[in-house]
Amino acid sequence: MLLVLSEEHKEHLAFLPQVDAAVVGEFGRIALEFLRRGTNPKIYEGAARKLCVPVEMVQHGVEGLMFLMTESSKHMISEVDFLDSVLVLGFGEELNQTLLQLYLQHHSQIRSILSQLPSNLPAYHNLEWRLDVQLASRAVRQQVVPMLTLRLLLTGGGNGGNDRSGRVLQTDPSTLLHLISTLEAALAAMKTSHARRIFRNIK
Amino acid sequence: MRFRFCGDLDCPDWVLAEISTLAKISSVKMKLLCAQVLKDLLGDDIDYDKVTKLTADAKFESGDIKASVAVLSFIFSSAAKHDVDSESLSSELQQLGLPKEHTTGLCKSYEDKHSALQGKLRETSLRLGRLEAVSWRIDYTLSSSELKEVNEPLIQLKLQAQGAESGSTETTVVSVSANKFRVLLAELKQAQARMNALQ
Repeated sequence: MLLVLSEEHKEHLAFLPQVDAAVVGEFGRIALEFLRRGTNPKIYEGAARKLCVPVEMVQHGVEGLMFLMTESSKHMISEVDFLDSVLVLGFGEELNQTLLQLYLQHHSQIRSILSQLPSNLPAYHNLEWRLDVQLASRAVRQQVVPMLTLRLLLTGGGNGGNDRSGRVLQTDPSTLLHLISTLEAALAAMKTSHARRIFRNIK
Repeated sequence: MRFRFCGDLDCPDWVLAEISTLAKISSVKMKLLCAQVLKDLLGDDIDYDKVTKLTADAKFESGDIKASVAVLSFIFSSAAKHDVDSESLSSELQQLGLPKEHTTGLCKSYEDKHSALQGKLRETSLRLGRLEAVSWRIDYTLSSSELKEVNEPLIQLKLQAQGAESGSTETTVVSVSANKFRVLLAELKQAQARMNALQ
């Protein structure tokens, strides 16, 4: 499929042919760094001073390049489609090749960064447990009550992958056995013919 | 195939795969790598520069280095968890394909640090609401707005414990009258006697 670039986007990218190929490569590197770490206005100002152009032009150029890369990686377009989409901008052959190389080198990284963005459900991180036996309490001596204490550690929950939260749970052995059998039934559901038919058709 | 060091379960596939990676470095370097991994498991920082130097000869990439550290961590912590003696560990690792010199080096390091590892694992076991500090103060109330002559002792207890859910330190301050405190002390002494009977 071809990327359709808006007029504003084309205008922003029109800055790129006015500079040398080395600078375009540098911009590409800056754009990818920004995808990983977020923007840094000082770099824009430094580049603008060196090239003697206004800061907004540099900023738009880099952001336009970032957007081009993320859109192409998002749709996983092939080389031919990428070149065709870029042809619309009317750049020279060398510039097109530079952009293509940038895309090919980094598209898997960009995809992995993009895949980390939507994480709204808490996900399993770790489970710690301890098995105790209650022998006595203030009210009753000479007891034997086995208890399992669990701490379920979860990540995510709407704040990105680095948010850890924990839940403390306690269960007795019979509930634990029930829990285990329910989870094993859930795993076994993956092996039914219905589920297998769907898996076969997804790939 | 059931392995004791995996808790009588099958050995995970990734461990099998990485054991062949481990076989690529010499047994001397392997022993030094084990020492580094044991340092990490016992709580000191692992020196990644040393690890990189040790694996540089075998031209390990960063993925291979991480994998070999991970598999050694797994072997040591899992063997300590299931209290496996070093002969069984040695025979099981050789069954999995680790060469004899590497296995002897590994098991020697394991045997040296076996009890230290188990102590560290015991410390890091799940405990909710660990009591960290207790401090107390006894006051004598002379008089109050309600009654002119009160003349009663009062104890204030400050308990610092780790919160059960949050894990950060929480402080609880309680003030106890003399009679209530006597009851508290008697109950705690009974509990202590019960605990001592178990030791």
